[in-house]
Amino acid sequence: MSEHDRWRWRVAPALLLAVALVQLALARGAGLSPWSGGGFGMFSTSDAGGRRHVHASVLRPGLEREVAVPPERSDDLLRLLAFPTRARAEGLARALAALPSPDYGPASAVRIQIWRTRFAPGTLAPSNQIVREFEVPVGGG
Amino acid sequence: MAAEAAPGSVGSFGGALKGDRGADLALRLTLVALLLSPIGGPGLRLLLLALPAAGLVFPPLLRRASLWGLLGTLAALRVALDWPLADNHAYLLAYWCLAVAFSLGARDVPGALARNARVLVGLVFAFATLWKILSPDYLDGSFLGATLLLDPRFEGATRWFAGISLEDLEAHRAVLRAHVDGLQPAAVAGLELAHRFSWMATGATLWTVAIEALLAVVFLWPGERGPARLRDAALLVFAASTYSVATVEGFGWLLLAMGLAQCPAERRRTRLAYVAAFALILFYREVPWAVWLAEHAPLPT
Repeated sequence: MSEHDRWRWRVAPALLLAVALVQLALARGAGLSPWSGGGFGMFSTSDAGGRRHVHASVLRPGLEREVAVPPERSDDLLRLLAFPTRARAEGLARALAALPSPDYGPASAVRIQIWRTRFAPGTLAPSNQIVREFEVPVGGG
Repeated sequence: MAAEAAPGSVGSFGGALKGDRGADLALRLTLVALLLSPIGGPGLRLLLLALPAAGLVFPPLLRRASLWGLLGTLAALRVALDWPLADNHAYLLAYWCLAVAFSLGARDVPGALARNARVLVGLVFAFATLWKILSPDYLDGSFLGATLLLDPRFEGATRWFAGISLEDLEAHRAVLRAHVDGLQPAAVAGLELAHRFSWMATGATLWTVAIEALLAVVFLWPGERGPARLRDAALLVFAASTYSVATVEGFGWLLLAMGLAQCPAERRRTRLAYVAAFALILFYREVPWAVWLAEHAPLPT
């Protein structure tokens, strides 16, 4: 391979390497699912974004009500599950705080928890643990 | 983007490919894979179908860096728009298309394609192996155990090999899907798994990490000697075994196209084996052979 051509087989592998190393760092330190982000962690863990689940609660003074994420927010939710960042949680929290509620008064905050499932070796008994938790003030309370 | 050489010049793809139709075939297989397994949202999908179709129908287009640069850019755009949800093979598709675009401007086109393919495949399996080693639930077998029961793509193989009835499979799934959130959650009783299922899960766990580690070593091994000689055999065995149960055909086809691109010209039988493996993955996708075996030819208990 001549000097002229050398870069031609280095760019794409360098891109792969760079993205995969960033993905590794984000997955180890920031909650990114190992299956996501281009690090080739598929089929390595049960912690896939699609297998995570969310619990969201709208907080009012003296009251906490768990709410379901509306279907029109399912794309935002999928992204949040795969990579639970503060910015994504804030976006979803604002939407959840604006949902109609039987409770009196404006929401003060929204709590969002992202959970994953583990399976016990041998018996595969499931148990869940929190991957990330956010409490997002939404004002008004 | 690679500059496109004039037809007939030293750097032209047509000239470089004389006597090396394998690289041409690898590019065709990549385009066929894109047609058989369409990707992207409505707008991108149209382009990502039209461009491969054009490349297959008009042979000169197949050899134009601009076609591959555009495909790579669109594939990368799809990854960016879907971030962080895109599958790993969406990333690999973007890298490979860009690698082809860059290689088409090289003085030695097949050489540049082969080297790109070799390093990309090696890195894919190096990271796949690393992630498995880093994941405690992979190493203790619980991930693949749960996946064999929960993931519908494995249903046929699990029922056939482990001899689990559809009713038992559903009952197992209900246990595995039980929600046990909370600070002090109620414990869920686990499953009493058949020995054959446990062997299957353990065997799949060990086999997968072993073959992926082998692929990483042989593809990243410098030169053509020693372990490097196992490249084609290891990739073909991986494709024929893994995609028989894990129907992620887009990934499998892409890996085979890249494998073909790095396969030396004189190995005609090996090249034929790559094409056969490509067809085999199509068979795996279209024919639910494991479900048929589970229902009509169950293994003796």
